[in-house]
Amino acid sequence: MADGKAFSSPPDHSQRTLLANRNEQGKIEQGSDLELAQLARAGDESAFAEIVRRYSPRVFRFASKFFRQRSVVEEAAQEVFMKAFTQLGSYEGRGSMEGWLTRITTNTCLNMLRTAKRRPELASADLSEDESTWLENQLSEVAAERHRSSERSFVAADLADRVLENLSADDRVVLTLIDGEDASVKEVAELTGWSESKVKVQAFRARRRMRAAVEKLLGKQLPPAVAGGSG
Amino acid sequence: MKEKHIIDLLENRSFASLNESERTAIQAHAANCSSCARAYEATQVASSLLRARAGEAVEPLPFFHTRVLAALRERQNEIPAFKRLWQTAGALVSSMTATVALLAVFSFVIPGTQTSSTAQASVSNGYSAEEVILNQNDLQDEQASDAQVLTTLYPAEDSGAR
Repeated sequence: MADGKAFSSPPDHSQRTLLANRNEQGKIEQGSDLELAQLARAGDESAFAEIVRRYSPRVFRFASKFFRQRSVVEEAAQEVFMKAFTQLGSYEGRGSMEGWLTRITTNTCLNMLRTAKRRPELASADLSEDESTWLENQLSEVAAERHRSSERSFVAADLADRVLENLSADDRVVLTLIDGEDASVKEVAELTGWSESKVKVQAFRARRRMRAAVEKLLGKQLPPAVAGGSG
Repeated sequence: MKEKHIIDLLENRSFASLNESERTAIQAHAANCSSCARAYEATQVASSLLRARAGEAVEPLPFFHTRVLAALRERQNEIPAFKRLWQTAGALVSSMTATVALLAVFSFVIPGTQTSSTAQASVSNGYSAEEVILNQNDLQDEQASDAQVLTTLYPAEDSGAR
């Protein structure tokens, strides 16, 4: 150590470049959201790549509330980051980047849902055997307990998607966020840019439409005493 | 509660947000009201479906950011290509406009200038085109009178030669 032999030999040009790149990469990985946004705006591709790396799990999770197919979720997420890149100038670091990206995701998904074709009304005859069984089990008190743990089963999620596909994009968004995710009216208003009263009215109507759609499907499954009785 | 149906209560708020006493009241009413019972069942199922759906999530693949960057580059390249096309079209339109303007100048302005210069030239010479046409007879008269003059001047020579 004293004679200096223990030190590594001075790095050559390629090693220096590699080290510089590593330092740069380290800086970017540790950079704040605002710093990354500023760098990306100035044309630093790796800074934007870091934003995508950092927030793509969140964007994916949020987009998958509205779409089930991986390809569609990926398409939505890609569109979100493309929009984010063009709107980087509007991000001033006052709020969190996560919130900013979530708002972009909500609006992107809403637009995609609006342009997607709505499926024709779902009838109980359209249900698969698994879906009919799931609904029957839901109506049985004992089985309902057992099914509570497996609520997140593929069948239920698939059926939910099929029912939601009959509703408008706005209905889907409020139901998914408020009834599915327990988001507050205020949160949904912030995400969508709607007024709180619009969110409330939309949610009220959406619940009515969702309930009517489910009631129709349950018509077959309901016991005659319940299904045919009068109010 | 029997007179007041519980459907509004089910539609005003999410099913999960109903508290225990509200649920008990709903169940008590639903026990004697089949339409509300149906609505209650359907609301429960709808809520379960929405929660089941909310539980699903797709995770990004490891190289998703690479895909985004590639898409960004592609989009950025598309814009200059469009700009280039627009510039080429602009140059074409400008050159066509210039040609049309030039042709217009040659067709309308320059011939007009030539006519006026001819007119000016005629004026400087002391006669105009109209005068030339109108005075053609005079010219013939002048020529005829020259011949007459010659005949008048040299009649003897002519007769001697014969």
